[in-house]
Amino acid sequence: MTKRLPHPYGRLIDRTKKIQFSFEGKIVDGLAGDTVATALLANNEWLLSRSFKYHRPRGVLTLAGQDANTMIQLPSNPNALADKELITEGLEAKGQNYSGTLEKDRGSILGLFSRFLPVGFYYKAFFRPRGIWEKWAAVIRKKAGLGVIDQNISPSYYDKQYKFFDVVVVGGGPAGMQAALDSAVDGCEVLLIDENPILGGSLNYSRFDVEGCQGQLIRQELISAIEAKNNISVMTDAVCNGWFADNWLPVVAGNRLFKVRAAQTILCTGSLEQPALFHNNDLPGVIMGSAAQRMIHLYGVYPGSAAVILTGNNDGYGVALDLHDAGIAIKAIVDLRDKPIYDAIAEKAIDLGLTVKTGYAVYAAHHKRTRSVKSVDIRKIIRPGVCEEIGDIIDCDVVCMSVGYAPAYQLACQAGAQLSYNDTSAIFTLKHCPSNLQLAGSVNSLWDLDEVRSEASRAARIVTKSLGFISETEGEIISSAKPSPNHPWPIFSHPKGKEFVDFDEDLTISDIINATSDGYEHIQLVKRYSTCGMGPSQGRHSALAAARIVAWATNRSVAETGVTTARPPFSAEKLGLSAGRSFYPKRLTNMHTRHIDAGAEMLQAGAWFRPAFYHQGKLDNQSCINNEVDNIRNNVGLVDVSTLGGIDLRGPDVAEFLERFYTFRFKKQPVGRARYALLTNEAGIVIDDGVACRLSEFHYYITATTGGADRVYQSMLKWNSQWRLDLDISNVTSAYCGINIAGPNARHVLTKLQSDIDFSSDAFPYMGVRTGVISNIPARVIRVGFVGEIGYEIHVPQLVGEALWDLVIEAGHEFGIQPFGIEAQRILRLEKGHIIIGQDTDAMSNPNEIQMGWAVSRDKPFFVGGRTISELERKPPLRKLVGFLIDDLNSPMPQESHLVLDGTKMTGRVTSCNYSPTLKKIIGLAYVPLEKAESGSTIVIKSSEDYSVEATVTELPFYDPKSLRQEL
Amino acid sequence: MLLIYCPHCLEYREEEEFSYGGEAHISRPVDPEKLTDEEWGDYLFFRKNPKGIHHEMWFHSSGCRRYFNVTRDTLTYEILETYEVGCTPKITGISS
Amino acid sequence: MSIADPTTSARRSPLTHWHKNNRAIFTMIGSSSVVESYEPKDGSIDEQRQAKELAICDLSTLPRTGFKGQGASMWLGEQGLHLPSSSNSAVIQSSGSLIAKLSDQEALILSDIFALSNDVGNLVNRSTSDHRELTQQTYILPRGDSHCWFTVTGSKASEMFSKICAVDLRTHKFLLGSVAQTSLARVSSVIIRHDFGDTPCFYVLSDISSAEFLWDCLLDAMYEYNGVNIGINALQSLIDKH
Repeated sequence: MTKRLPHPYGRLIDRTKKIQFSFEGKIVDGLAGDTVATALLANNEWLLSRSFKYHRPRGVLTLAGQDANTMIQLPSNPNALADKELITEGLEAKGQNYSGTLEKDRGSILGLFSRFLPVGFYYKAFFRPRGIWEKWAAVIRKKAGLGVIDQNISPSYYDKQYKFFDVVVVGGGPAGMQAALDSAVDGCEVLLIDENPILGGSLNYSRFDVEGCQGQLIRQELISAIEAKNNISVMTDAVCNGWFADNWLPVVAGNRLFKVRAAQTILCTGSLEQPALFHNNDLPGVIMGSAAQRMIHLYGVYPGSAAVILTGNNDGYGVALDLHDAGIAIKAIVDLRDKPIYDAIAEKAIDLGLTVKTGYAVYAAHHKRTRSVKSVDIRKIIRPGVCEEIGDIIDCDVVCMSVGYAPAYQLACQAGAQLSYNDTSAIFTLKHCPSNLQLAGSVNSLWDLDEVRSEASRAARIVTKSLGFISETEGEIISSAKPSPNHPWPIFSHPKGKEFVDFDEDLTISDIINATSDGYEHIQLVKRYSTCGMGPSQGRHSALAAARIVAWATNRSVAETGVTTARPPFSAEKLGLSAGRSFYPKRLTNMHTRHIDAGAEMLQAGAWFRPAFYHQGKLDNQSCINNEVDNIRNNVGLVDVSTLGGIDLRGPDVAEFLERFYTFRFKKQPVGRARYALLTNEAGIVIDDGVACRLSEFHYYITATTGGADRVYQSMLKWNSQWRLDLDISNVTSAYCGINIAGPNARHVLTKLQSDIDFSSDAFPYMGVRTGVISNIPARVIRVGFVGEIGYEIHVPQLVGEALWDLVIEAGHEFGIQPFGIEAQRILRLEKGHIIIGQDTDAMSNPNEIQMGWAVSRDKPFFVGGRTISELERKPPLRKLVGFLIDDLNSPMPQESHLVLDGTKMTGRVTSCNYSPTLKKIIGLAYVPLEKAESGSTIVIKSSEDYSVEATVTELPFYDPKSLRQEL
Repeated sequence: MLLIYCPHCLEYREEEEFSYGGEAHISRPVDPEKLTDEEWGDYLFFRKNPKGIHHEMWFHSSGCRRYFNVTRDTLTYEILETYEVGCTPKITGISS
Repeated sequence: MSIADPTTSARRSPLTHWHKNNRAIFTMIGSSSVVESYEPKDGSIDEQRQAKELAICDLSTLPRTGFKGQGASMWLGEQGLHLPSSSNSAVIQSSGSLIAKLSDQEALILSDIFALSNDVGNLVNRSTSDHRELTQQTYILPRGDSHCWFTVTGSKASEMFSKICAVDLRTHKFLLGSVAQTSLARVSSVIIRHDFGDTPCFYVLSDISSAEFLWDCLLDAMYEYNGVNIGINALQSLIDKH
């Protein structure tokens, strides 16, 4: 039977709505607004999970979704936080990290053998021999694994959205609410983000006055004021998961990642209460003082019936009053301070006659059969960290720790702030925030409500002033008049250990000390060696204690020791948020539908989709490709070349520009002629090629490779931003569609089209360029020979691409014209010995190696790759790209990148290889050493693990060496 | 994620609209043929890569498609100024 | 097959087949085939009401062009056109066409949605016939083919854009006549605020080869706000009232 505290306890729950779910197969009753953890607590179930390494039983620690103790398994979501995850009707939740049952975990026996899992275990045990880690990883990962991914679950829809604000306030506690309110001056757009379901932060659960009502009064006052402002947007249940340059804030809310850009940010992220270190401080029932307050005030749940308060400040007395008011017996307030300076709240607790033991520590906790805490051993402190030999045993079922706080410094540090530590007050402070970021509240080490609100107002004045909304000055820095709430040494080692520093990774005091004695003294090295702070809670509750212990062990101050870097994300982020709704643009040509209708198998090349080949009935793929090749060699075909880059260069300096940019000469190129254009970079490496068409004296149309177009265009712009030649460079790739009509009957097809262009051989020779109209469509026509037959590339405006395709198909109908794809084109060009940049070249290919020396002009004063090419030409080349033939059709066909061997020595590689339907032989291109480059040489290509094939080096091209066919 | 001011568009835009163009103000040798191999190699392959103030080229690839220069602190990522190619930076020297 | 069937005219939007598969009814606007409206699949969709809330319309076949070069602004002025004073802004011409200044050396000229203005056709003809492009450093750009042209209209348009665009397009920040050259769903795009009546409207001009991809992205982003595809009739009716 569940028992709850009466209203107004339980601010987040709706007592009228009952919800049933199951945990570990058992039905649990909860209320709307309950988390899995609080519904279980209301049923007196503390055990949530097993720890990572020793499988120790674990329960709620912070009740704030900040620790790894509460990680549970949900059907669609492993590693869910039980103190964050709201219950829903029928939800099936389970514990994690156990074998057998959560109650009786066979793996917990590991705890007995903990001496076999020493700090640095993984490094020590698996460092040698090489490869042993791979063998053990599977076993260990399963043992130490976290949740399980259900691979049958259907994915949810995740997406992203930008938001823009003048001021973003992260954290909706008293500081954040005040800062948002005061930033919301006229015209200033403010966003207030909080990870909890309601605004208020500590105002919702903490005790700020003797009566315990001030928090709610101030909260109401602030909320009313915020609601009255229409320029404050509020996001609750939203986590700001990082800080990136120029105030780019990733905010996670549900299935959406908001990319928030803020002109100014105010961080009011608060502080995280820190645990005390004593034997068995990880038992279920040992919790933060603030966790007990959250249970009572937010969920109306009894933390227990008999409590011991371990405190190092006055806040613990507030916790005691809250528990006492709720009817829970206070067995003792154990105050680490020898001579405390009390505030009004503490005095009230003393007035009530609650048992207070000053100068005492909880030295150890003991558990009962159900594994949660049953009693504590309290002892008088002799000196910091050391207690008397004998103590008193106090029975209790809950221990509340209030020994100090660490600022939630993660976002601030990501923004470049530096964390420093005052060894006297035991307080962390953040310094050197960038100018577009302010801090307010307990993240800035202020805890007194009045001080916090003044500081928040000041931060708001600073940001609104810097944005030009106000002109008044921000006023003096607030420095706290109150004593530090942090106890400098709430750490008590025990002969039997188990004083946990890091609950995620099961690390104890001796583990940290051992790491330093193993030689790892730097805090960053301690982290990596011991794994301290590397678990899911990312050191939120271990960084401070670890720094203190390392400082002590290495005889330095905490300030000198420092803490480790806290990288984003702040809290665990679902992969869906990063993976979901990414944009990968697809590029299609105007003829795309025609390809699909003709049975094309589409292939993606970069963003472009191009037909690989066209299916022909039930014919196998290779036969389809071979038929397409035959049709070009014997008849006529057409291929979509729209994806080729197209760049218009216009202006008086255009020829001068081309001479500097490409390797060839262009100044004397006649209008109406096209010229091959080879592009090298300054290191003399071939990076692209195309055809330069001179359309008029001052107008060139240059093609580039499909993959290289953007790069070539960008490179042109970059060079001309230095040369400042008088010309315009426009990338018109998308503006034009292109068709290449090739084959012995190509001219017959063209003459069928209505056009003002004379396609006859005399009027329009090979490498000629013409502009005109074809059936009223303006066209640029280039006579090219890439595939080695008569060929015309027709380039027309993009939107008429499909219409052109239809015209050509219709005109070619009587000749049996067929479309062909890039697979056939690859074979055709290989037969013709044409290289493809990027396939037959690599990051080291210079023009001479690829037999393109003819395309480099040596008598012009300058071009981009010139200096290096002339340098390279003074030395013999190391390799050469050559053609090779394999006569034996039964030998396995070498593939791209197969090695050319000389004995066992690798001397080259294959770049292209295919069966030539025309020559009925296997042909290819390969890099070979110079001594093998002579025609007739035999090379050995390793084509599989145990099979090599001999090939004969051959002159290029394989087909029509005198180019009689393409120039007909 | 930087917010970059494009001196051509006269607006701040997200980093994802730009692409990096390498170190700025590398003047090409007037007569490369006269350089020794070492000098040419230095020009081709060696970059300052400083800790602190750096002048670099950026390309507004999905915006105005133009190059411009940026003075950026490589330590803090802070962009101190942007200016057109061919102009001299206002901010120079080594920071922090 | 009606006379406005897009496959009977040479200039076809890359989305022509998408439109046909989605029961589009086509109409001729000037010499361009454009979707007039879509036959509703189930029940009736009030396209005009949709246009005011959130809708997308494909205008890719309507006339538009661009000019670039040091002499471009001057030359356009000589043709009697009124250019915006600053870059990244757009002004309506008395003829109804819209000129967007993309930089001090580049302008984009768009027809009105009734294709009543002849500005685009006239400019294209003059620039190519008198070869001014060479002497005056004025170069025509084939914007009618390099970029598709969509309109996104309605009160929820800005909110929808924030899912796929990093520029703040909220109507109180991105004012009438504002121009942004940016990326939409990683496709290079020019966005122009050009309201119809009192309905917020954004012209989107994007790389035409990615038109179908972007159209799908926009529809997907609009789904959450019940946005749909509409024909040009609904857009024109927004203006009729004023």
